[in-house]
Amino acid sequence: MANMSFAQALNDAHKLEMERDPNIYVAGEDVGVYGGIFGVTAGLLDQFTDKRVRDTPITESAIVGTAVGAAAAGLRPVIELMFVDFIGVAFDQLYNQAAKMKYMFGGKAKLPLVMRACCGAGIGAAAQHSQCLEAWFMHVPGLKVVMPSTPYDAKGLLISSIRDDNPVVFLEHKLLYGMEGEVPEEAYTIPLGQADIKREGQDVTVVATAQMVNLSLSVAEKLSGDGISAEVVDPRTLSPLDEETILESVRKTHRLVIVHEEVKFAGSGAEIAAMVAEKAFDYLDAPIIRVAAPFTPVPFSPTLEAEFIPNEDKIIQAVKTVTGNPNVA
Amino acid sequence: MSLTNEQMIGMYANMKKIRMFEEQVAELFAAGKIPGFVHLYVGEEAVATGVCANLREDDYITSTHRGHGHLISKGGDIKLMMAELLGKKTGYCKGKGGSMHIADLDLGILGANGIVGGGPPLASGAALASQYQGKDLVTVCFFGDGAANQGTTHEAMNLATCWKLPVVFVNENNMYGISSCTLNSMCVADIADRAAAYDMPGVVVDGNDVVAVYEAASEALRQAREGEGPSLIECKTYRHKGHFEGDPCVYRNEEELQEWKAKDPVLRFEKKLLDMQVLAREKIDEIKDSIEKDLAKAVSFAEESPFPDPSEIIEDVYTP
Amino acid sequence: MSLVGIIANPASGKDIRRLVAFGSVFGNQEKVRIVRRVLLGLVAVGVERICYMPDYFGIVERALDHIKVPATIFPANFSLKGSQEDSVRAARIMREKGATCIVTIGGDGTNRAVVKGSGAAPILPISTGTNNVFPSMVEGTIAGLAAGLIAMKRVPLDESTFLSTKLEVLVNGNVVDLALVDVVVCDDLFVGSRAVWDMDKVRQIFLNQAQPDSIGLSSIGGLIHPINAEEPLSLCLELGDGGRPVTAPVAPGIIKQVFIKGQRIMQMGDEIAVSVVPSILALDGEREVEIRPGQQVAIRLEKDGPVVVDVKQTMTAAMKNGSLLR
Ligand SMILES: Cc1ncc(C[n+]2csc(CCOP(=O)(O)OP(=O)(O)O)c2C)c(N)n1
Ligand SMILES: [Mg+2]
Repeated sequence: MANMSFAQALNDAHKLEMERDPNIYVAGEDVGVYGGIFGVTAGLLDQFTDKRVRDTPITESAIVGTAVGAAAAGLRPVIELMFVDFIGVAFDQLYNQAAKMKYMFGGKAKLPLVMRACCGAGIGAAAQHSQCLEAWFMHVPGLKVVMPSTPYDAKGLLISSIRDDNPVVFLEHKLLYGMEGEVPEEAYTIPLGQADIKREGQDVTVVATAQMVNLSLSVAEKLSGDGISAEVVDPRTLSPLDEETILESVRKTHRLVIVHEEVKFAGSGAEIAAMVAEKAFDYLDAPIIRVAAPFTPVPFSPTLEAEFIPNEDKIIQAVKTVTGNPNVA
Repeated sequence: MSLTNEQMIGMYANMKKIRMFEEQVAELFAAGKIPGFVHLYVGEEAVATGVCANLREDDYITSTHRGHGHLISKGGDIKLMMAELLGKKTGYCKGKGGSMHIADLDLGILGANGIVGGGPPLASGAALASQYQGKDLVTVCFFGDGAANQGTTHEAMNLATCWKLPVVFVNENNMYGISSCTLNSMCVADIADRAAAYDMPGVVVDGNDVVAVYEAASEALRQAREGEGPSLIECKTYRHKGHFEGDPCVYRNEEELQEWKAKDPVLRFEKKLLDMQVLAREKIDEIKDSIEKDLAKAVSFAEESPFPDPSEIIEDVYTP
Repeated sequence: MSLVGIIANPASGKDIRRLVAFGSVFGNQEKVRIVRRVLLGLVAVGVERICYMPDYFGIVERALDHIKVPATIFPANFSLKGSQEDSVRAARIMREKGATCIVTIGGDGTNRAVVKGSGAAPILPISTGTNNVFPSMVEGTIAGLAAGLIAMKRVPLDESTFLSTKLEVLVNGNVVDLALVDVVVCDDLFVGSRAVWDMDKVRQIFLNQAQPDSIGLSSIGGLIHPINAEEPLSLCLELGDGGRPVTAPVAPGIIKQVFIKGQRIMQMGDEIAVSVVPSILALDGEREVEIRPGQQVAIRLEKDGPVVVDVKQTMTAAMKNGSLLR
């Protein structure tokens, strides 16, 4: 075990996988000489040369599109989109080309590619550099969507994503890059589609993703002082979604709060809530509550950005509402 | 098309204003007063200045993430800019946009842009509106060498010539898109060469020479305004600062930076105006003092202004 | 061993004349193809060493990408500035290394720079840019053959080259610059975008070459009093209201009426003062020299300009002496 930051864990996953499989190449803007704008690909260029670590022009459509073509022709591209907000420029290559190829072609194609991107607010990067867009990707059959919340998960999930034969969208919340944790030095995998119970509890299930997992854990800790036992579930993979782990937790706690940083309307939480309502309605003792961002672009000003991002108070309030706690604020 | 002394002094003052504004922003950023990213225009002042000196108030521009210079040159108010950079309610965008999204639609400024290559289609669109409405307005699209490789840029140029739109594409070739040098990101040495592919004139000018930029823009804009179609002006320039404040600049060397600093567009024009006796030392000091005063006012206005109230977050998403 | 220099200017053919006039668009790809043809011509007549000017686009390197050239090819070694200075330095290095012919690919401006460094080495100028008078439109393959024949001394120099004269710019008595075709005095303060198209600003023109069929300001003289590059004469024209009208192709696609108030023939060594100060002097089509208030400026006709290869004469000489009949 080693102590690593989230960014280092991702870096390590790249390195180990590239050493293992010469068909893996990395491409994207500033991934080589610069080592990635958040340092995730640092050192890879030196170790693997510019054949395998390719700095590209600013050309997202071609970065994604060439990865699709290369994957169809036998390589395993791992591309960096920098900010997930830039997907708009390249979306066709992802959702019309990558996601559908296997199905349209009668099952023959194999598309082993990973598109990494950072997401999330919290650094004042404003409306076009702060979004969480996981629901967009979840809505496309053929894509897998991964969203880790710890350095350990980041490494294991990235390795699994690279080894997966499908196009995987790998979303990294930018506030997590500096987060440290214990991470095995060797390669290991965490199966895609497997949620993780980050904290066990009895009274309420809190399903959270990415940075919201950490907020929810902190809330759970605080609420334990008020006699509320919250179970925090991190799906880790949003598509495929580990429905069973979530359902099992809800069947135990009878209450569900969903926390994510996307806007609430038609966000990933809507899918989770609907799934639970469909499959575990009888177990619920209270309406499901989603804690998420308001239906606005991400504002720049610190006061507005703080209002935008779900915070501990809002999670606490939701939990207290579903648990019927009299101390509701 | 001779420049009058007054115009020359105006262009000098504008460049100086951009330079001093950016230096002030760098200071505020270092002091932690500006959230997010700031991309400074230091070293490229001659481009926006020389181009916008040819524009009318109701002409349009589209800008980029490195937009402060474009805004100032199109007549933007530095008080409102500064307040926006600090995320204040009194800023251009009520604190909602920040450096990368400053806009002033009343001045035809269709916004800085956080998406590289986001601006060119907007520019062709604004030009379409002018043509459609029979107005003799022009649109200038500022875009970087990096943006020159985005599909959107090419699509916008193609449509612009297909429809003969009154738009001028002004490329600010500062040799880098973050860390990627044009030498590695394109196989033409001059972005102007690409104009031929869209059947529009494409020219290269010294982007650190405000008069050269002015002359080229003047002719290109005249043609656009008179319905003769779009053109592409490539301005060779350099950013003195990092891509954003805090950039370690591992991708370029000190020698290159010094070479370009020796071609500093502001100092160069200042020296020329002095040599040619268009401008006297005292006048330069006067200009500087007056900018300094305005800047100080802008900073205190920004600092004293309130942050937006959290309740304002849901305002302005839709037009009622 | 024979050495030929190649100086291909990556910046030629892209200036504002494509906007203010209807100048030809000359992309670097075409320069690459010309150089390729030149190289093949050179080695076909046995040139063994070729020194080239490196540039930020890599014209010669790219030319080499698609062909096999049985010769030693190397760059002139200096740190690139991305300006005219590169051509001057490359030419100087080629001369010092003993080049016996330098092929230039560019416009009047490119050749003006090359001549500052090339000394007595013969130059063979291939035109690319717009508005050119000094270099000619010549097929690259033929240019390569001709340059090779000159460099290998397989044709007599006196039959295949001529010595051009030049105009010198004197500021306060010191020579500061030169021109091969023309010096144009503009009532202006700035070099700006370099080209000259606004005839209202032109006050005085000194012509070292003037042909009735050339393009640009030298055509004005050509239509009054033609002068060849090798003739020991120049023409000085004063422009202004009330003069004699001449309709001339002052830039590609731009035909204008200009008014000649005065004209003077300059003999070798003659010096004429520049009539407007402060002003800008355009040399061979590009605004170049700023004349400050109070400076004394004159233009002088001088004899020892570049040795220029005449491709047609060279090939004719080869025909006569049977150089290529084997
Ligand atoms: C679509 C998109 N891709 C990538 C980025 C990240 N990014 C911001 S600025 C920049 C470089 C832009 O280079 P250039 O167009 O040359 O402008 P410069 O920064 O040099 O002014 C990049 C890659 C972005 N904002 N948008
Ligand atoms: Mg750039």
